[in-house]
Amino acid sequence: MDQPKKKRVMVWGARIICVLGLSLFISNVAVAAEIAGISGSSAELHKHYDKSLRGKTIGFVPLALGSPLMGSWDYNMRKEAKECGMIYKVKDPNWNAQASAQAISAFIAEGVDVLVAHNMNMQLLAKLLRKAEKKGIFVIQINMVSNYKTDVFVGADWYSIGLRQAERVLKHCGKGTGKSGKVAIMQGELTSAANIEQVEAIMSVLKNHPEIKVVSSQAGNWDSNIEHDNMATILKQHPDLCATIGIWGISHLGAAQAIKEAEMTDQVLVVTSGGGSVQICDAIEAGLIDVYFNYQSLLQGHDIMAAAKLLLQSGLEPGQAKIALFSPVFEITKKNSSYSCFPYPFPEEMMEALKIDYPFLPISE
Amino acid sequence: MNMSSGELLNSKAGPGSVVKAALKSLTQEQIIVLVTFVFVAIFSIFINGFATVGNLMVLLRNMSVLGIFSIGMGIVVIGRGIDLSQVTTGAVSAAWVLKLMHDGMGITSAILLGLALVLLVGVINGYLIAFIEIPPLFATLASGICVYGFVRHFLLELLNNHYVPDTCKDFLFLGQGKIGGIPMPVICFGLIALFVHLFLSRISYGRFIYAQGDNEDAARITGIGVRPMKVLQYTLCAAIGYIAAIVMASSTASLNVRIVDSTLIFDVVLVVVLGGISLVGGRGSVLSVLAGTALIGTLLNGMVIMNLGIAQQNLVKSIVLLGAILLDTFLHPRDEETARQGDI
Repeated sequence: MDQPKKKRVMVWGARIICVLGLSLFISNVAVAAEIAGISGSSAELHKHYDKSLRGKTIGFVPLALGSPLMGSWDYNMRKEAKECGMIYKVKDPNWNAQASAQAISAFIAEGVDVLVAHNMNMQLLAKLLRKAEKKGIFVIQINMVSNYKTDVFVGADWYSIGLRQAERVLKHCGKGTGKSGKVAIMQGELTSAANIEQVEAIMSVLKNHPEIKVVSSQAGNWDSNIEHDNMATILKQHPDLCATIGIWGISHLGAAQAIKEAEMTDQVLVVTSGGGSVQICDAIEAGLIDVYFNYQSLLQGHDIMAAAKLLLQSGLEPGQAKIALFSPVFEITKKNSSYSCFPYPFPEEMMEALKIDYPFLPISE
Repeated sequence: MNMSSGELLNSKAGPGSVVKAALKSLTQEQIIVLVTFVFVAIFSIFINGFATVGNLMVLLRNMSVLGIFSIGMGIVVIGRGIDLSQVTTGAVSAAWVLKLMHDGMGITSAILLGLALVLLVGVINGYLIAFIEIPPLFATLASGICVYGFVRHFLLELLNNHYVPDTCKDFLFLGQGKIGGIPMPVICFGLIALFVHLFLSRISYGRFIYAQGDNEDAARITGIGVRPMKVLQYTLCAAIGYIAAIVMASSTASLNVRIVDSTLIFDVVLVVVLGGISLVGGRGSVLSVLAGTALIGTLLNGMVIMNLGIAQQNLVKSIVLLGAILLDTFLHPRDEETARQGDI
């Protein structure tokens, strides 16, 4: 074969390969678009979003409304649901276990599309949540998970927070600091997931350090009065206490007040965690709390809605996904306390935003 | 008035062992004081750091709120009643006071408004029980739930956690301040105990409460205005409960109305009954409340130092309550005088 002929064949060969490759790519894209139920345009994407979400109901059962943590979830869910045309319903059991189970049952009977559950303990709602998924309801659990894991868990990574708390205590009271090494742990509810995981993590770190002595580890049922009285007693018993770890900042404020009364705020390191409401930042500025792990409850409210939107658009059936969205955690100390918390109760301007009537385009066919 | 004629007859007629006779010669509050001393002795020996002035002051301080609540409840129980709405009314009103202060009201006016609310609830309770004659157990159970719902919905805007604002730091003195080294809650407890003691033992209205609690019909026949007296008792109980709740809010600089769902009201009844203010009415005094508070305070303090959890603490408290009720039945057996209609 002469040279020019050979070249021609090679060029044609390359052209054919290019065309074949391009057509394969286009067909792949088309197939992918078909799978997602949309073709390329933004309008189509918006239509898919609207069709999947508009008019869908999301039901929320917190432990109780009216505290910064649950209030901020409620706020963001209420606002974002309205913005995308979903119907938001909340049933408030006000710390009553039986009422909590009843509220979940009622939502299942009503046939909501997404159910958001805040578990009082690990057993209480397990069966009901399974039942909800079987009935075709997406179930999102928030902050305190049940024994039964559902489609999505949104919430703090308790284990990691516990590890970080223990590390901070080690830094303050551990070897070489010349301190007593005495630590008190103020637990919340012994059966709640948050409590179990956090205490387990704290102990897993502290047990490797013989210089640290856990002198008290008691449950105060999330009650600041009990934490206050217990701390007052512990301080008399151990006047050289080095640090205290509280599972929930709001109830740990009681213990912090007792430390202040005993004029020991400089000596005792107060470490705790929570959603980051302004009362905590005020307490940090007043020197009552030293280190606070903030899992940003306003963002958690947004995460719940993001998860709900994702599930409703995904084409998945309830029970198919197992997704964890652990909340990003920021450490608040005196250095950043002036700008790290959200106001609670929410100021008027924020509440006004809940009353906005959003314009909706009709869904085109 | 500590021993009725019926009991005297009983103790003479019955076979009566020596122990029973010896116990009978003691009042219940004396027995409780003895038991308290036994526990104090045991804890002092086995728990390091229990028998120190500092710890005993903490013990007293921690029991002050419960003690104040119990003195209020004591008045009602002496009059053969019970007020299950006391903690609820006090707590939601104190929460309202914090909310008012948060919204910019001064400390004094906020506290006075809260007091007005509490007095209103007390008068309504008294009216329901004295004039409409609803048994106190049901009347106050219902009114407590009603007040909780009403205040939480209309006055607290459904908020659970309330905080003392920065502008009202003086309010914290009631719970966190000290006069001459003695914490304010202890001083409040002492003053209220003194006033109520004088009221019950030195003033005719106070004495009449015993008469009414012992035998309401006889009291009425002798010319005592039994119905207005009951209104007075429930109003006093609510007002004293309010003081306790204000001290409580001040000591933690916050109040979570969730306290309503806690076992606090049962702790109050426990202290009252334990000290010897019998549920059959007409018996006991402020000293009984002090004795009951001392025993429960000692137990709680010891258990906290021993690092026992709240579940174990509740178990011990419930066993002690059961023991106290058994002792009450043993010391004040049912006879034709005490077994009457209208038990609570």
